Amino acid sequence: MARHAPNGIVQAMQLLRLQGTPYRRVIPSLRPTARFYATETEPQTPSTEALPEQTAEPQLEVRPAPEINFAKFQQRPARIVPASRAYFSGNPRFIDHVLNLEHLQQKYASLPQVPAGEAPRMAWFKLAQFRDFVGEAVPVKKYRSLLKLLQQLNRIEPGIAPQEVRTAISVFLRPGNPYAKEHTPREVDENGCARAKGKRKTSTAVVQLVEGEGEVLVNGRSIVDVFPRVDDREKALWALRSTERIDKYNVWVRVHGGGSTGQAEAITLAIGRALMLHEPGLKPVLRKAGAITVDARRVERKKPGHVKARKMPTWVKR
Amino acid sequence: MASPWCWSCLSPLRTPRAILPSSTTTTRITTAGFHSTAVQYAMPAKKNKNSITQLKYRQGQTLRRKKKKATENRARPPAIGERKAMRKRIVLSNPNALEVEGMQELSPETMIDNRLRGSVLGLPVTMLDQLRAVQAFKPRQGWNIFRRPGTVLRRDALELGQLFEKISGDDPAEKGKVVRKIITGPKGSGKTVHLLQAAAMGFLKNWVVITVPDAYELVSGTTSYSPIEGSNPPQYVQPNATSALLKRTVEANSKVLESLKVSQKHAGLENLKPTMTLKDLAQLGLGDAALSWPVFQALWAELTATSPAPGMENGFQSRPPTLVTVDGLSHWMTKTAYRAEDYSFVHPHDLVFVQHFLSLLKSDKPTLKNGGMLLYATSTSNNPSSYSLEVGLDQMIARQDGVSPTSPDYPAPEAYSNADPRVLELFKPTAASGKEGVLELQTLGGLTREETRGYLEYFAQSGLLRENINEKWVSERWSLSGGGIIGELEKLGRHVSAPAKLAQPTPDVE
Repeated sequence: MARHAPNGIVQAMQLLRLQGTPYRRVIPSLRPTARFYATETEPQTPSTEALPEQTAEPQLEVRPAPEINFAKFQQRPARIVPASRAYFSGNPRFIDHVLNLEHLQQKYASLPQVPAGEAPRMAWFKLAQFRDFVGEAVPVKKYRSLLKLLQQLNRIEPGIAPQEVRTAISVFLRPGNPYAKEHTPREVDENGCARAKGKRKTSTAVVQLVEGEGEVLVNGRSIVDVFPRVDDREKALWALRSTERIDKYNVWVRVHGGGSTGQAEAITLAIGRALMLHEPGLKPVLRKAGAITVDARRVERKKPGHVKARKMPTWVKR
Repeated sequence: MASPWCWSCLSPLRTPRAILPSSTTTTRITTAGFHSTAVQYAMPAKKNKNSITQLKYRQGQTLRRKKKKATENRARPPAIGERKAMRKRIVLSNPNALEVEGMQELSPETMIDNRLRGSVLGLPVTMLDQLRAVQAFKPRQGWNIFRRPGTVLRRDALELGQLFEKISGDDPAEKGKVVRKIITGPKGSGKTVHLLQAAAMGFLKNWVVITVPDAYELVSGTTSYSPIEGSNPPQYVQPNATSALLKRTVEANSKVLESLKVSQKHAGLENLKPTMTLKDLAQLGLGDAALSWPVFQALWAELTATSPAPGMENGFQSRPPTLVTVDGLSHWMTKTAYRAEDYSFVHPHDLVFVQHFLSLLKSDKPTLKNGGMLLYATSTSNNPSSYSLEVGLDQMIARQDGVSPTSPDYPAPEAYSNADPRVLELFKPTAASGKEGVLELQTLGGLTREETRGYLEYFAQSGLLRENINEKWVSERWSLSGGGIIGELEKLGRHVSAPAKLAQPTPDVE
C-alpha cells in the first residue's frame, strides 16, 4: 500500500488554510516527551488569578469548572490536519462538491420540482473543463453522478429556488453561457444582398446574391475564365438554373481551395443557400435538385503502412 | 555346353570370356587407339545457352525476357504536308445542316441596317473565294456546322458597317478618313470574326483589302529573311512572306487591281511597263521572291497615290480606300526567333514588313491618303505575354477615359520592368492630322440578350438545337456563356445538354 506522503506544497497549502485560527508553533525542544497522536492538551494560559490559587494550596476551596467557551477550543491540533475530511480520498475537492450538493439536495428535497424538459437549460462544464476547474482527475462515471445531482437541483421550480442553491449550481456553468444567445436565422441584409457559404471537397465558396440580371463574377473574373469547362459552369449555377432564377439574380462569388470541380460544387451549395434567404419557398425544389444537399465527404487520410488511404503494398514472397 | 577340352588333342581350351573384363565394370574407351590425333584438339562441346551457369561475374540474376519487336506499321504515312493541310482545312458548308429560310445576305444595304441587329447574315457566296484568299477564315470557328457561312450583325459590326459607309460615301467631311483601331477582348469574343466582317464589308465596298492573317508567321522564324544592305541599324526583309502577302492581295482584289493602271515611276523594277495594271505589277513579285519587297512598296505607293506622276496621266483613276487587318498583334511586340549577325534576337520592328504595318498606326503623317481602315486585333489563344503592349493598351484606355498623359494617374511602366521603349513609342499619343484619325482601342465584349437570341435561333433553324427558345432559356445561356461571349455561345449551341428544368412536385390528381 502506498504511503501517503504529503509534499511541501500540500503542507504549504494546508498552512494557508489554517491561517484563520491562531496557530501555535511547536518548538521541538519544548515539546513534551509524551506522545500524542491527534491532539495535544494545551495548558491553560497562566492567568493572574491562578497564580495565587496555586500558591494558596492549603485552602482547598472547590470551585465549579468555568463555563466552556465553544468559540475557543481547549485543544489545538498538534500537527497539520487536512482541511477536508476527504483529503485522503484522492479527489477531495470533487467529493467536497458532491457532499455539498447532496447536502443541498437533502435540505431542499421538499421543494416542488418541474419536469426535466421545463427546467432552464444550463451549459454545465464539459468533463475536461471540470477537471481543470477542480484540478483533479475526476473519472467519467463520477462526473456523471455529479451532473445528475446538478440537474436535480436545477429542477427545483425556478420561482422558489433558494439563492443558496442557485449560487451553488452556477459554479458549475461554462463561462460565456452558450445557451443564452438565441439562434438568429440569416436574412437578406439591408442592401438586398444574401450571403451564404458552401463547401465541397477542399473548396470554400462565399456567395453574395442580389437581385439583378444574371451576371456572374467569380473572384472578380468572368465565369468563363474561371471555369473553361461548360459542365463546371452549369454545375456552379445549378441552383439558379433548376429554379429558373438565373436571370433574376446577380452573383458575386469568392471561392478558394480545391480544384475546379470542388469549386464549382461549393458555389452550387452557396448559391442554393443564398437563394433560400431570398425565397424560402424554393427550399423543396432546391432540395430535390440537390442544390442544398451538403456533401461532407473529404479525402481520407493516408495511413502508415498503406500505399494510400486503404491500399496495401503488393504482397511479395521474399 | 561346349566341352572345355579339345576333342582332337584333349588339351584344355582357353575360355576368352574369363579373360576379358566385363563391360559393366570398366569404362568404354571412346577414342580409337590407332588414331594419332590428340584428344584436346577435338571440337569443344556446344554450350547450353539457357543455362544459368552462363552468367558472367557480377551479372544480375533477374529474369530477362526478350523484347518484342514493335509491330511494323504497314500503312503508308500521310504524304508530306497532308497532316497540316487537314489541320488547316477550312470547311465552310455542311449539307446535313438545314438551310435557314429567309436568311439575308451581307450587302451594302444590310450591313448598316439597324433593324437586322442580332440576325445572322450570310456571307455572299461569290465573295467566299476572296475571303478564303485573304485567309479570313480560321479553322475551329465552327463554319462547318452550318449550311453556309454567316456572321451575326452585332452592335460592333453595325458600327463597322457605318464606318465603311462613311469613308466610301460622298460626304466630303468623312470621305477619305483613316480609322485606326486596335481590337481586344476576352477569349472567344469574336475578334477574328470582326476582322472577317471588316474584310467582307471591304470587298462589298470595292476596297483594297490587305491582310496579315497571322502575325506569328512573320516572327516565328519559319520564313526566310535577309538583311538589307547598307541599313543601319540592320533591317531585314522577308521575301517569301512578302510574296505570300502579294499573292493574297492579288487573288482577293483582282477585280479592283485590274481596273487600276500604274501611275507612278518606280525605280528598280525593270520589267514594269507604264501600261500595266496594278494586278500585273503585284504579280511581278509572285514569281521572283527577291523582287517581292520592292514590288510591294511600288504597289503601296500606287494604292496611296492621289494623283499621277507627271507624264503618266493616261487613264489615271482615283484609288479606292484600303483596309488593312492584322491578327495576333502581340507577336510583333516581343522578340522574334530570328538572329542577327551577332546572334542576338532580331527585334520585330527591325523587320521591314512588320515595321511597314506598324508605322501605319501613327497618325502624325498621312499614310492612307485615299482613306481606309486599319484594324489590328490581339489574340488570346496564341498570345505571347508582352508587358510593354499591356502598358501601351492601358495608356490607350486611360486616354480614352480622359486621363491626361501628364497626370499621375496615367499608366506608366513600372521601374525595372524593362519595358520595350520601341513598343511604348508606338502607343504614344499623336495628334490627328487632317483626315488621319487617332489610334483607338475597341474592346469586344459579349452579345446582348437580343443578339444572343438571334444567334441561338439561327442554331435552332439550322437543326442544331432542339429547344424551345424562349427568353428564360436564352438568358440562361447568356449567363452560362459569361455574358454572351459568342465563342462560348457557339459551344453551348452545338452541344446537347441536360434540360435544366426539374419536374416540379405536383399534387397527385386522382
